[in-house]
Amino acid sequence: MAAVSVIKNAIAIIFLLILQLELFSSLRFFGVMPELVLAGAIAAGWYGGPVGGAVVGFTGGLFYDMYLATPLGLNALTYALIGYLLGQIANFLSEDAELIIRLIISVAAVSVGLLMFVTFGELLVQPNLYNKRFGKVLVISSLYTGLLMMPIHFLMAWAFNAHRLLLPSSLGRIR
Amino acid sequence: MVLPRRYSGSRFTLAILVLASATLISLDARGYEPVTNLKKAGIVIVQPFRSLARVVFDPVGDAWESLSNGDELERENALLRSQLDQLLEYRIANEGAVNDLAALRAQLDLLGLGGQETAVAEVTAGSVSNFDPYILEINKGTQSGIREGMPVISTGGLIGRIENPGLRDARVRLITDPGVNIGVLAIGTKEIGILSGNGVGQPLKVTDGIPISAPVEVGSILVTSGLDRSPYPEGFAVGSVVEVIPNEVNLEKELLVEPTGQMKNLDFVTVVLYEPPGRG
Repeated sequence: MAAVSVIKNAIAIIFLLILQLELFSSLRFFGVMPELVLAGAIAAGWYGGPVGGAVVGFTGGLFYDMYLATPLGLNALTYALIGYLLGQIANFLSEDAELIIRLIISVAAVSVGLLMFVTFGELLVQPNLYNKRFGKVLVISSLYTGLLMMPIHFLMAWAFNAHRLLLPSSLGRIR
Repeated sequence: MVLPRRYSGSRFTLAILVLASATLISLDARGYEPVTNLKKAGIVIVQPFRSLARVVFDPVGDAWESLSNGDELERENALLRSQLDQLLEYRIANEGAVNDLAALRAQLDLLGLGGQETAVAEVTAGSVSNFDPYILEINKGTQSGIREGMPVISTGGLIGRIENPGLRDARVRLITDPGVNIGVLAIGTKEIGILSGNGVGQPLKVTDGIPISAPVEVGSILVTSGLDRSPYPEGFAVGSVVEVIPNEVNLEKELLVEPTGQMKNLDFVTVVLYEPPGRG
């Protein structure tokens, strides 16, 4: 990654983290908030490939971990894997794939990310992440994050200097 | 099979990141101090951005809250008005007693709440995660004498305990967390039980320690017992019993308990600067 891209990615991660901590922790639907940092890792996978997705996911997750009672590294692990996975999927997906397909895959990836987080947490250290609220959190958070996925795609495309792919002529195709 | 260079490179990066994460998880779970300091350093780096964002986003959050909780606020207002009327009547009737009590407290040199020193802190944020809704953040930390495990109260009683205090901030772990256990005493009896959290919006539970024959009924008030190296001093109101479920098998009563401390829409809380004997 070039130095400019590193700085842009740092700005994007901090921006998403601040939004998550200060705005969307209050703007909850049925007590559930979106997972913006996870969405950032997913979008980073689309535009930065497996390495970009994994590194952005790890860094974003690590910063988010600092504010949570769960052990440091749990979100970093999950988001790095999800960013990597999305990077691989983006590599195999046709460049002509419609935007809606990409958004649906992104929303599904949020659900997978939440499942992975809870699974790792239960297996490794933190009991009680899987509880009776989990189903509600999984569904509402995935949909809520899906609503915000479009601007996050734009943000990460900017961070990876891929904004040329978002010109009006290619709006239906992101890449 | 020889992998293309691009894939093997990305897998190597992923392996390094996974290894780093696993190491951090393992060290943090063991309470390794440098990792705790790393957490605090990260929070300090982001703090200026958070403070700035708070100025911008707080009004948005407040507006959202008033929109989504409008009915609840109206109900709360009506309830508070009726309670205020009752209190005014009570105050008029007991003004003399209040003066006597104030004189007595001054004579006994009692400081703050129940003789304990306290620190009033502003609530700066609620939970910032979908998976841990039992957290509040406050704007005071070790600089104000706040230490790990200290009890936190709001209007009405105990609401939680301090967790992971920083220099100028700390987290409050709410008593609704299923992982929190508190030794409680039923007022007017000698019955002591263990009260546990039961999740957001759910009553607290006492499942152990109250014999079926004990005179603990609906409406009984539970306070902290303060026994056996309890992190809480004795006598703080925790909740009132709303349901009693007799368990004929182990001859005990299970109690469902409504917390007396206000936990919603909090602007300020009080930290009781109490350290159990033997710890300080």
